[in-house]
Amino acid sequence: MHPNDETLNAYADGSLPANEAAEIERHVASCVSCRQLVDDLREILRATADLDLQDPPARAWMRIERAIQLEQEGARAEGARAFQASERDIASGHGHGPAKAGHDGMWLPWLAAAAALVLATFVGLRYAPGRSQLAAPASQARDGAAQASAGDAAQSVENELRQAEAHYENAIKGLEQIANAEQNALDPRTAATLQKNLAVIDQAINESRAAIRSQPASEPAQQSLIENFKTKIALLQDTVALINEMRKGNEAGAARIVSGLKQKGN
Amino acid sequence: MDLVARCRAGDVEAFETLYREHAARLYTLACRMAGSREDGEDLLQEIFLQAYRKLGSFKGDASIGTWLYRLALNHCLDYVRSRRAKMNKLTETLDADTSFEPTARRDTPIARMDLERAVERLPEGCREAFVLHDVEGFDHKEVAGLLGIAEGTSKSQVFKARMKLRVLLGRR
Repeated sequence: MHPNDETLNAYADGSLPANEAAEIERHVASCVSCRQLVDDLREILRATADLDLQDPPARAWMRIERAIQLEQEGARAEGARAFQASERDIASGHGHGPAKAGHDGMWLPWLAAAAALVLATFVGLRYAPGRSQLAAPASQARDGAAQASAGDAAQSVENELRQAEAHYENAIKGLEQIANAEQNALDPRTAATLQKNLAVIDQAINESRAAIRSQPASEPAQQSLIENFKTKIALLQDTVALINEMRKGNEAGAARIVSGLKQKGN
Repeated sequence: MDLVARCRAGDVEAFETLYREHAARLYTLACRMAGSREDGEDLLQEIFLQAYRKLGSFKGDASIGTWLYRLALNHCLDYVRSRRAKMNKLTETLDADTSFEPTARRDTPIARMDLERAVERLPEGCREAFVLHDVEGFDHKEVAGLLGIAEGTSKSQVFKARMKLRVLLGRR
């Protein structure tokens, strides 16, 4: 009669009591199938003991380093917030009450900082050098012999304009929903900064539209409008994402978005 | 100032040195416990972030390597428990013997890479017990304590893992 697999397993790894092991040894010596199982299990144990360590991919440390930097930035911001709160308390004569926590106490300063970054980023992009490069396709079109391809390009730009405008409207709608929901929670400084951002961006869009009205075929004007739309959509998406992160109390996530806005502004 | 003290003081370069010394061991543990390299990488990040935050509580009773290993092991176990609770599939996976395709028998020595891949494919439950017992060298009593199971269950899971590996590696 064959021993069961559990017993053979215990025999293979040496955990079977000596008297039982001797009995199994005799059986295994004369039974091919049981010997095969014992040999297999021992080979698995040997290979397991021989397993090497694996090196993590290089990006693993970069992720950790970035996360640590975000934590440090968060800690510094926390310290700055505490300092500012204490300054405000002193100025208003409120003294040192319990620290504000949660919704309005935690994320509004982040939002203010992000809103300022949005403004800086947008202005930076708006007046960034290289805008003349946008004229390159237009000159190529002028130089091109085929009127049909120029017509196709114009049609394509019109389509892109329409698509961009649709994206723009959606982004605005989303932001308005959030702004309405958070209206009472916004501090006046943050709300004012956001309004200022919106006004600056809208002005740029209006200027582009005015340029298109005076020169409907101007591809630079069309592309400028598209660029303004795309820029605003991207910034609004970042802002909405930031608000969401702050709502969740995820300061690391918020810091990551603020950092992304900073990089775009550089 | 020693390495740990520099890490505590917020020296990221010192922390990178600590990472370089211990990452491979902890990454390997995390990958094997999680059963995937992607999850192992995520766990490694969480482990070292936790270490960065908790270094202040390191008393120096054990070596920093032992402290990191315990922290990593606890983090992996938390992950395993949390995933198990979510999936609630421990019993099913342990009893599912039909999930492996039969392969042609091989008698050549088992290659390390083949074994690593096979361990990744082990069902949850028996994989963790196998990794802790056969790879990490804990005895069944310790494995039982770590996984919150009976000692007999640990033995049974390690046995099942070895039998499944035998199939996965084409030894049967």
